[in-house]
Amino acid sequence: MVSSTIDHMVATVVFLGALLLFVGLFNQTIQTAILYQRHRYIATKCSDLLDNMLLNPGYPLDWGTSNCTPTGFGLQDPEFTQYKLSPFSLMRLRSSTGELVYYPKTDSYYSNITMGYGFLLVPLTEVINYSSAARLLGINGTYGFQLTITPIITVSIKELQPKNPLILSVVVTGMGFPLANAAVSYCFLTVREGSGGGPYPSYMMEYGTDFADETGSVLLNFPSVTTDVSYVLIVYAHMSGLVGVGYYEHATYENSYVVPFIDSLEERRVLIAHSWDVHGGASPAEIAYNATFVLLTEDFTLREMPMENSTGKTGKINYGQDPEHAYKEITIPTYNPGILIISYRKSAQETGVVLMPWGISAMAFPVTFGDNPFGKEWVATDIRQVTVNNIAYQAKLALWSLEGYGVIG
Amino acid sequence: MMRTIEIFLVIIIITAAFIISSLFAVLPSPRQVSPLNLRRLALTTLQTLDVDYDLSEIVFKPEDDPAWGKLQIALSACLPPNIVYNLTAYEVSTEGTELYHPIKSISNAESLGVASDAGSYLVASSNVTFDVIPEKIGEHGGGGTLYILNCSDANGWWITGYTGQSLAEDLYKLLSPYFKITIMVQNTTQLAQILDGTSIQGETLQDAVVINTFGETVPIPSGYYATQGYSGGSYAKYCYILGQKVRLYNWTWASIVGWPFYYVSNTGLFSSSQNGWGIYGMVMVSSYGLRAFLQGLDNQHYGYSTSSTGNPGVVYLSQEAIYYCNYYGIYPSPYQTSTRALPDSILTTYNLPQSSVTYIFNRVGNWIPGAVYRHIAAGDNKITGSLFALGLTRTPDIRLTGLGLLCAFKPRLYRSEYTASGTSRLVVLQFGQVGGA
Repeated sequence: MVSSTIDHMVATVVFLGALLLFVGLFNQTIQTAILYQRHRYIATKCSDLLDNMLLNPGYPLDWGTSNCTPTGFGLQDPEFTQYKLSPFSLMRLRSSTGELVYYPKTDSYYSNITMGYGFLLVPLTEVINYSSAARLLGINGTYGFQLTITPIITVSIKELQPKNPLILSVVVTGMGFPLANAAVSYCFLTVREGSGGGPYPSYMMEYGTDFADETGSVLLNFPSVTTDVSYVLIVYAHMSGLVGVGYYEHATYENSYVVPFIDSLEERRVLIAHSWDVHGGASPAEIAYNATFVLLTEDFTLREMPMENSTGKTGKINYGQDPEHAYKEITIPTYNPGILIISYRKSAQETGVVLMPWGISAMAFPVTFGDNPFGKEWVATDIRQVTVNNIAYQAKLALWSLEGYGVIG
Repeated sequence: MMRTIEIFLVIIIITAAFIISSLFAVLPSPRQVSPLNLRRLALTTLQTLDVDYDLSEIVFKPEDDPAWGKLQIALSACLPPNIVYNLTAYEVSTEGTELYHPIKSISNAESLGVASDAGSYLVASSNVTFDVIPEKIGEHGGGGTLYILNCSDANGWWITGYTGQSLAEDLYKLLSPYFKITIMVQNTTQLAQILDGTSIQGETLQDAVVINTFGETVPIPSGYYATQGYSGGSYAKYCYILGQKVRLYNWTWASIVGWPFYYVSNTGLFSSSQNGWGIYGMVMVSSYGLRAFLQGLDNQHYGYSTSSTGNPGVVYLSQEAIYYCNYYGIYPSPYQTSTRALPDSILTTYNLPQSSVTYIFNRVGNWIPGAVYRHIAAGDNKITGSLFALGLTRTPDIRLTGLGLLCAFKPRLYRSEYTASGTSRLVVLQFGQVGGA
């Protein structure tokens, strides 16, 4: 009787122990499966959300070229179908990589995508921030995301010889391989003394075409450069539908330069500010500037678009002025994407040039928008090839869940 | 003891069940759980390569054409290094049982692995023609008639290098697709006919557009209009009557260049008169003509007084006009010289409300170099006549006239229609991934 009872007790204990162990083991398998299922769902959501962003223009359709706050989020160019994005809607996304720039003369902060002397500074009041976009997309509080729009073609330019002749090396590469034998068209702008010794700098533009070799590189010679001058080279490389942009500036004077701030997208107004008022620096001086605007034509050449005199294309700016006299205003003549080129001078020998893309694609600026995916538990990504005003870009969306993975074993 | 043994047997059974179920419950690899959407990536890659129709051009080239090599370079350059691909172009056949016949294939790997996906893209040859069908003005409402003054018995002024007739022909080619009916008014007799309210070919007279191709001159019919239109030694009264007719029929009167209504012309009526510059068949009305027209348009009393225009110099197309340049594919120079811009004071004096003006050129101070002015009588809300005045210097560019009218009426362009068969090829791009889990 006693042995039978002991037998029952041992059997019960062993059975219960085994049962608990197996429940744990099965639960772990089920838990992993559920997690995988959720990850799968995030991947599907990521693909859908990316298409949702890229295949609708948002509302109102022209929100990229106006100052309004959209009530629907989308980046497609409203004049096209397919994966063609609006260069201006992208410009209104708050960059999550560049540090904000504060300009005390307007008492405003600006979203910053600046690369070298290529400036793109959009007032914070006009950009769409991450939380607004998430709310418009209906994922606020449920998913986090980061959207990255990166040019597919990289055009790198280096100065090999500064004069007699100026030699610049251009290398064209894609995401995987060099773009061998790519056609290269360029615009070379040199800053000159003002006509008749006038105070404002003038400029001379030279256009040309060439072809890259098997390694995607080409040397461009400019025999007209015999002295140290300020210049900018803008290069468009293209092959079989892929188009990329690169640029390179050289300035003989960099203590003071102009900084262009977008003031109003709707009115196409740009503020021309003095660098000392923005970044400080040593030995500032008054500088005179001359602005011009160039467009990319269908045959991949750049064409100058005249700016009305009344738009303030020439002027002088000084540092430390009161806000009313600290900056000048110019008006971009069109909503077609292009490049605002501003040459400046302190004296005949001390000149420089800065650029500002009008539309993100004109200088192939990348855009990073959204939260940082670093450290998130599971991040799904998806990519699409897109074009922005015919410039090839890759759009990549990283998506993760904000609701946690509440699978308790 | 027996119970314990039974329990161990149960444990062995459950263990076996767990092992067997674990063998079958194989969880997918992370790449399978969270895959790149290769199908979409393939489609968007093909679209990118065809952004300037390069892909459409290449796939119709011979198999040994170097363009295929360039396509492969571009394809390799635009993809991440871990993506392998195979691009195959197929001839689309409408005969026989084989619908798709492969003609060329390019790849960067022998195999695409076990998991691959593909996107397809149908391209058309450049031999294919496309039709653009414009919406006809008046199709969904009143009007829809375009009158182009082509009067053989009138001469023009400030249309240097052209004649009214040659401009009329060009305007016909440019604008007739956008109107329900286009009528060339061949002489001043026909002009009198429509001014009298009688149609020429049964067309709708109301809400029509009338383009005066004679520049600063306006043709004048003999008879009633020449007699009633002559008052106080001037034909300005005729311009006044024109203004009244424009209001009556709700016409849009287009003046293509210079100072509108500055001269009147009828080679029969004024055979011995010249305009002061040696052009016979023409009489100068001077600036009184424009004032009289606007008085007639606004139903004011006729008063013989001068009008003024300004000389703002270089002027620029408005944003709206630039937009419609792209929409309609009409590309005049975006900046022009204006020496006969109308003053903005006419907006209030003659009930041409600012809100209803379509600017073709940007305003310069108080001057309006080119715009469509719509008359809305005080206390009313409907349009009763319009004036389209391009106050540019000679020689006229009739593309600006066309652009201005299209900006004013905004007819839609319907999507292209595919009109060829047997000239398509299917491009299939298949992707696989290498490396990684």
